[in-house]
Amino acid sequence: MAVQSEPVRVQSPKRAAGDALNSGRPFAGPSLLSRSAPYLLLLPAILATLALLGWPLVKTFELSFQNLNKRQLILHLTEWNGFANYTDQLTSSEFWHTTGRTIAFTAVNVVLIMGGGTLVGLLLNRLGKKMRILLQAALMLAWAMPIVAAATVFSWLFDSRFGVVNWVLDQLGWHDMADYNWYSSQTGTFFVIVLLIVWQSIPFVAFNMYAGLTTIPAELYEAARMDGAGAWRIFRWVVFPSLKPFFLSTTFLEIIWVFKSFAQILAVNAGGPQGLTQTLPFYAYIQGTGNQHYGIGATIAVLTILMLVVLMAYYFRIILKQEDEL
Amino acid sequence: MKRQLIAAVGVAAMVVGVAACGSSAKSGGSTGAAKYDGKTVTAWLMSGSAPQAWQDGVKADFESQYPGAKLNIQIQKWDGIGAKVTTGLSDNSVDVLEVGNTQTTGYAATGGLLDLTSSKADLGGNDWAANLNASSVLDGKQYAAPWYFTNRVVIYNKALWTKAGITGTPKTLDEFYGDLDKLKATAGVSQAMYMPGQEWYTYFGLLAGIGGQIAKQTGSTWAGNLESPEAKTAFQTFQKLQSYSNAPKDKDEATPEQTTVFAKGDVGAMIGLGWEAPAPADMPTSNVGFFALPGTTADKPSGVFLGGSNLAIAQDTKNPDLAKGLLKIMMSDKYEGQMAATGLVPNKTSLDSLATTPFAQAAIPASANGATTPNTPNWSNVENTPNPIKDFLAAVLQGADYDATAKKYDATMTQLLGQKQ
Repeated sequence: MAVQSEPVRVQSPKRAAGDALNSGRPFAGPSLLSRSAPYLLLLPAILATLALLGWPLVKTFELSFQNLNKRQLILHLTEWNGFANYTDQLTSSEFWHTTGRTIAFTAVNVVLIMGGGTLVGLLLNRLGKKMRILLQAALMLAWAMPIVAAATVFSWLFDSRFGVVNWVLDQLGWHDMADYNWYSSQTGTFFVIVLLIVWQSIPFVAFNMYAGLTTIPAELYEAARMDGAGAWRIFRWVVFPSLKPFFLSTTFLEIIWVFKSFAQILAVNAGGPQGLTQTLPFYAYIQGTGNQHYGIGATIAVLTILMLVVLMAYYFRIILKQEDEL
Repeated sequence: MKRQLIAAVGVAAMVVGVAACGSSAKSGGSTGAAKYDGKTVTAWLMSGSAPQAWQDGVKADFESQYPGAKLNIQIQKWDGIGAKVTTGLSDNSVDVLEVGNTQTTGYAATGGLLDLTSSKADLGGNDWAANLNASSVLDGKQYAAPWYFTNRVVIYNKALWTKAGITGTPKTLDEFYGDLDKLKATAGVSQAMYMPGQEWYTYFGLLAGIGGQIAKQTGSTWAGNLESPEAKTAFQTFQKLQSYSNAPKDKDEATPEQTTVFAKGDVGAMIGLGWEAPAPADMPTSNVGFFALPGTTADKPSGVFLGGSNLAIAQDTKNPDLAKGLLKIMMSDKYEGQMAATGLVPNKTSLDSLATTPFAQAAIPASANGATTPNTPNWSNVENTPNPIKDFLAAVLQGADYDATAKKYDATMTQLLGQKQ
């Protein structure tokens, strides 16, 4: 998320002294200013969100009901065409193919990320100090690497003639792989993209997992072990229940991030071969910016947002239910 | 202050101009200076198009012919140019612009380009070669002026050809195949020819050369035409040529840049544009030869894709007269001749003789047998990534069935060509 509000440092020395008396509690005193302080503090963040996210969103929604191509843009025409863009997309087999592909792509990535991230998190918890710092540094580097740089490196690693991967496979005895073209098939290209995304996403899950694990008291493990539980049962009955909120929120965050991943798909093989690795955000880009059908691009974007909203609604339902239980 | 200074310089230049040749000034005396004073014409040229000397010359001539007016030449990159031109035409930030010939009708149809029909004769349009002017015309109206063209030829490594025992250049495709076979059998040759499978320009040229069309028009609708027998015949030639290459079948000539592959010195030949010939630092000029891709018979080379650029004026320009004046200077034989001298095909055949580089001598005879892309506003949809022709070539070269694949991509092309404006 690109929106970050400026840290707000307010309060003149005089006021700070007054507040100290109230020891930070939201007090129902006479001052209007102190009562509205929380809202004032929230204001910059809300304004930034509205300006940078809300307004473009409203515009995108508006555009999705227009026939807006380069002609309309150049001549400054506004051509409303009702739900035509929506009916076109919802009856287009290409749109549904792309949607199905995006869902499958997201599922595969998220399962691998959550699985791999959890295992690395558990490993971090068990390692000695030196090795842990080493592993954390490695994870940090993978996470900090700019996406386009990472994608470029990956596309070179998997290059058919000069790539290290093919060279290694050849040396290991798979001589068929010496000149294998990973980008000539849908599975090959997806393999590279998925590997790239999983590699860059595991650190986030692993760090959160490790942070969560440090909050579980050692006695719980001991008690479980006394009862004769093995590694799997400890995970299932001690770790998982304690960290359920973590698993939920991380999974949903990863779903959103993977669903909307774009740069990786563009940089690795530009949606190829034959458009077989296009996902919804990429499809919206091709239709909107590439072909200059901005209305259609906006429609696909709105439909993508709707899908994510449905997913998120489910997530918030679970979160709210949990908070009720607590 | 600055404004006054500019005005003063403008008046001074005007006075000198008037003094030097009393009657040459278009608009007399100080009123002329006031007329153009402070006006700026912005021209967008694409990177790599016009040599610096050409730009400097045009600027000097323009500013002396229209005292007080300024010419601001901005160089644009090809990557993502479509959206940029749309924005430029929309917010009035450009007056005269270079438009790729395959994109011109698309922009003409948007209403963003000024109708130049009445100025055509004044710009020298009566002498423009018909096949080069085709892309500037939509529904009988002239929306741009053809600027320069170029087409691909075979670029070959003379040392390797000599080593393979080949004397002279081939006159027919069969002779060319024979030469490539010899090259293949020569030590030190990694591949007889470098030709990636998505190099669709060569395929387009082969198809145009045998009288075929990549898309056909019925009434007002266009449809993909890869299923036609001509398209299949052209593909067979393309496939045969490609079989002499180890280049990837699913990449185009830009990934990797084929010129870097050829410059290594172990590749017999490639099909490319003049600027793709290796720089003298990479390979001595004397070692690089050019010939037009031969045809099935010796009397006619294979067809070629005519790439190139037109110059157009924005419909919303604030200074249409200045923009037309600039266009006239750019179109003059003086500057068109300078383009020809760099090895490009000029818009008038009378200037062809100025194109004397070895590349141009091979390219110009083939350009007579060249064609531009179908003249429909939606054509640029096809060339946008993902270009269905490229995907089609890659798929069939990698073993997909021709007829079924052609049918699939014809449907894609038909859909792209029929999209709403």
